[in-house]
Amino acid sequence: MYLSILKKDLKRKKTMNCILLLFVILSVMFAASSVNNIITIATGLDSYFEKAGLTDLFYIVSYDEQGGCELYDKVIENDKVSDVRKEECIFITSDCFKRDGKKLYDFTSTAFVLSVDNTKINFFDKENEIIKSVEKGKVYITNSLAKKAELTVGDRISFEMDGTKKELEFAGILKDAFLGSDMMQNYRFLINNEDYKEILENESIYSKSRGAVLYVSSEQPEEVLNDTADTPNIRFSCDKQMVKTSDIMALIIAAVVLVVSFCLILISFVVLKFTIGFTIAEEFREIGVMKAIGLKNSSIRALYLVKYFGISIVGAVIGFILSLPFSKALISSVSADMVLENDGKLITGLLSTAAVVMIIMLFSHRSTAKIKKLSPIDAVRNGQTGERFGKRGIMSLSKSRLGTHPFMAANDVLSSPKQYGIITLVFMLCTLLVMILSATATTLMSEDTVELLAVTKTDVYISDTVRELDIIYGKKTAKEQKEEIEKELKENGMEAKVSIELWYKIPADVNGEKFQITMLQNVDADMEDYVYTQGYAPRNEHEIALTGILAKKMGLELGDKVRLTVNGKEDEYLLTALYQSFNNLGESGRFYKTLNIPDNSTSSAFAFQADFKDDIDREELERRIDRISELFECKVFDASGFVNDCTGVSQTLGDVKNFLLILSMLIIILISVLMERSFISKEKNEIALLKAMGFKSRDVMITHTLRFMITGIIAVAAAAALCVPLTHLSMDPIFAIMGTDASIKYTLDKLEIFAVIPLMIISATLAGVFFTALYTKTIKAQDTANLE
Amino acid sequence: MEKILEVKDLCKTYIINKRQNNVLKNVNLTISRGEMVAVMGPSGSGKSTLLYTASGMDRMTAGTSLFLGKDMSRLNENELAKIRLDDMGFIFQQMYMMKNLSVLDNIILPAVKSDKKSESRAQTAERARALMKKLGIEDIASNDINEVSGGQLQRACICRSMINDPEMIFADEPTGALNRTSSEEVMEELCKLNAEGTTIMCVTHDAKVAAKCTRVLYIIDGSISGELSLDKNKTLREKERELNNWLLEMGW
Repeated sequence: MYLSILKKDLKRKKTMNCILLLFVILSVMFAASSVNNIITIATGLDSYFEKAGLTDLFYIVSYDEQGGCELYDKVIENDKVSDVRKEECIFITSDCFKRDGKKLYDFTSTAFVLSVDNTKINFFDKENEIIKSVEKGKVYITNSLAKKAELTVGDRISFEMDGTKKELEFAGILKDAFLGSDMMQNYRFLINNEDYKEILENESIYSKSRGAVLYVSSEQPEEVLNDTADTPNIRFSCDKQMVKTSDIMALIIAAVVLVVSFCLILISFVVLKFTIGFTIAEEFREIGVMKAIGLKNSSIRALYLVKYFGISIVGAVIGFILSLPFSKALISSVSADMVLENDGKLITGLLSTAAVVMIIMLFSHRSTAKIKKLSPIDAVRNGQTGERFGKRGIMSLSKSRLGTHPFMAANDVLSSPKQYGIITLVFMLCTLLVMILSATATTLMSEDTVELLAVTKTDVYISDTVRELDIIYGKKTAKEQKEEIEKELKENGMEAKVSIELWYKIPADVNGEKFQITMLQNVDADMEDYVYTQGYAPRNEHEIALTGILAKKMGLELGDKVRLTVNGKEDEYLLTALYQSFNNLGESGRFYKTLNIPDNSTSSAFAFQADFKDDIDREELERRIDRISELFECKVFDASGFVNDCTGVSQTLGDVKNFLLILSMLIIILISVLMERSFISKEKNEIALLKAMGFKSRDVMITHTLRFMITGIIAVAAAAALCVPLTHLSMDPIFAIMGTDASIKYTLDKLEIFAVIPLMIISATLAGVFFTALYTKTIKAQDTANLE
Repeated sequence: MEKILEVKDLCKTYIINKRQNNVLKNVNLTISRGEMVAVMGPSGSGKSTLLYTASGMDRMTAGTSLFLGKDMSRLNENELAKIRLDDMGFIFQQMYMMKNLSVLDNIILPAVKSDKKSESRAQTAERARALMKKLGIEDIASNDINEVSGGQLQRACICRSMINDPEMIFADEPTGALNRTSSEEVMEELCKLNAEGTTIMCVTHDAKVAAKCTRVLYIIDGSISGELSLDKNKTLREKERELNNWLLEMGW
């Protein structure tokens, strides 16, 4: 008899059972994929570094004119160093690689060509396999550059430097654990050893453009860095932590995936708990009948538990299978530049699935506890006339000014606050996720964020790598370059004041403790034009500003003095201001504008900045950007474009936002469809009654759709109200890892956040509900005669 | 007397598991304005099916049903809904009501939806209260439907069926779910409405209920097998006796 009741139940309550099954599938799918992603991301970076063979400390160093490398000798002799690997390479600029006569991509930082036989860490291909060999005539290129240059395997590109030319074929992308992140933007070109040697046959390249990456193992990386601080020709140095932090942009996406994963788990459990409670509540009649014929509470409860267990198992198997591609899709945006793999993903998935089944059984166990409260009288009374219902109606039709449809919809929503509250919560969570991502993506593309790059806001930013490198290599002074640009701009009717932010590696000493710090200076910018979080802008040559993070690292507070060695002369400088910046992952300082620093101390340079002397509108600015880009054959940006180019993540973040918007809409449609279908099933009597009274199918559909519209509107309104505080709460800690130590001012795309996203969420809700509500057409007025 | 409902050769067939079940077979029936007609018969004889197909709530397989001259078989769902809203009232055996509305709101709901009367919502509520007073349930206006007895609820259903001043009320075993006292009270109210001019077609298996009608139809196996007109001038007891005798003759 037991089995027969169960069989009958599964058959007769097909719709509700199917809905429950779908929710179980969703929950398992979300939970299994999300837990996998959480583990992958949490452990992924360390595992990636280990697979790649990264060391504790890194240097990029250029050889001196005799081909010597003083740093290598110094490091190898340092007793704190246990191992050094030297990876020789050729330093190149963006104009060295071309496709169809044009630059492959106009990148601003130094890039490296290296031989596959000289690599000292592991580089990975698209399939996450170690690249062990490169065929002659072929080249592997860092993924982010290949993506930006829209390269496809087999594309022909040419290498051209100081008269040496070489035709190469793009063999595929490479994943570079050291320099492959968006933040580093130092691209690598991996070629065959013979090709490499042929390039080095060029005397000029051999003597002027050679250098190396040193991979250093040490228990005390900070001390080794300090010991080598004053060694010449160091282009870049950092420890493993900084490399890890440089992946933060990818980790922002990872963090977003984590947040999404947690939300998906939350959503699925909330919905599942609701559905189980809801289906049990609807069973009152059957439970009453079973009690009336003498079945014990425990027997009835076991019957339902067996049913839910059966549904959970079927749902778990399907959900687990679906979780594998879903997990891959979620993490794909993060894993493009890295090797992120969870070796135990099947076991994790299975464990998560088992956990979901256990949680479902727990919910079922708790929900079926209500069986004790249901009496045989519930079956007799049919729920319509009995004591089962508490007070329901909240609004009064006779007093309300609302039309019939809005009144009935609003009254239904208010009469079942728990039911609609849960739907609202789920919709709100989905909306908030998209809104937070939108705010973050917009902020990372906003011109206001330029202040976080420690540059002043100007009309345009000219990213002319060749000119910048000429300053670094001492071929021309910054003053000469600026005057040349100003002259050319003037000749083309775009008179402007040109400046440039130069970076210096400066040895510092705080009470005997040595540091090598990055200092910035723009001799043409007013110190007050920068944004400081504390203190006042440096007012003379002996005053400096530092980022809060660097000041803390050096143990300095406002008003403290630090000894800096500038141009070989050690002097005392007063710390007058703190600021925050993404540059150098939050570790930098700023000299007063008139402090004289020779150009040959420059370690790096930001883009040339130009402020036009005349007032121009947006259209003219865009025209001038195009014109300057043509004139100097390089990338030219406005402030927001410059931020976008420097952070390099906004595009990915935008893509993730769009993916999330689609995912949210799909979840909302799915939940709307399933909820509406369960409501129709529950309200069959009332729908038939309304039709018997003379209401048309259209009236019923409108009322049902309006109920979800109210829910959707409340959800998006709440999400819009919570968007800013929750963006601060969730994203500030992530920006803090990037180098900020105070709150970020988020830029909101008001149209997107307050109109586009809400409209899309509400449209998804309405579409899901309306098409499901069409099912009410199948309920006829005459069904009042056949209702149970 | 003006014919309000005229049913000709009405057939209704259900196909269940590929088997044809002829529930109504060429039923002919005419109801005039002001009549109160009871339909009786054994379970499964087709009483309720006749009520629902004749009223247009259910589709007929063949035949015609003219309500106020309109052929119900030719109207679409929306036109039928409009007629149900404005010109018909329905009372069911189970006291179906909207759970989230108070008793008063349930009663006025069809009036609010209908554009038959141009009146404010307050005026509609006032009319509903007057109807409730007439049926003796004015005290439960603001109650939820779960707070009142079955008899009160069925009277509220009668008020709801009356709120749009229908031409005819179709009642499907209106006292079927009520105890004797409530049943008598409800029938009393229906008789009053009929006396005021409302035409009523009432399906029942209770002779005491049928005895209060002006005419009784006996249906068996989907066909009307007999018809009895009850003399208005006789007492209720006399009518009950006459009806019982007739029912015995019909094989009740």
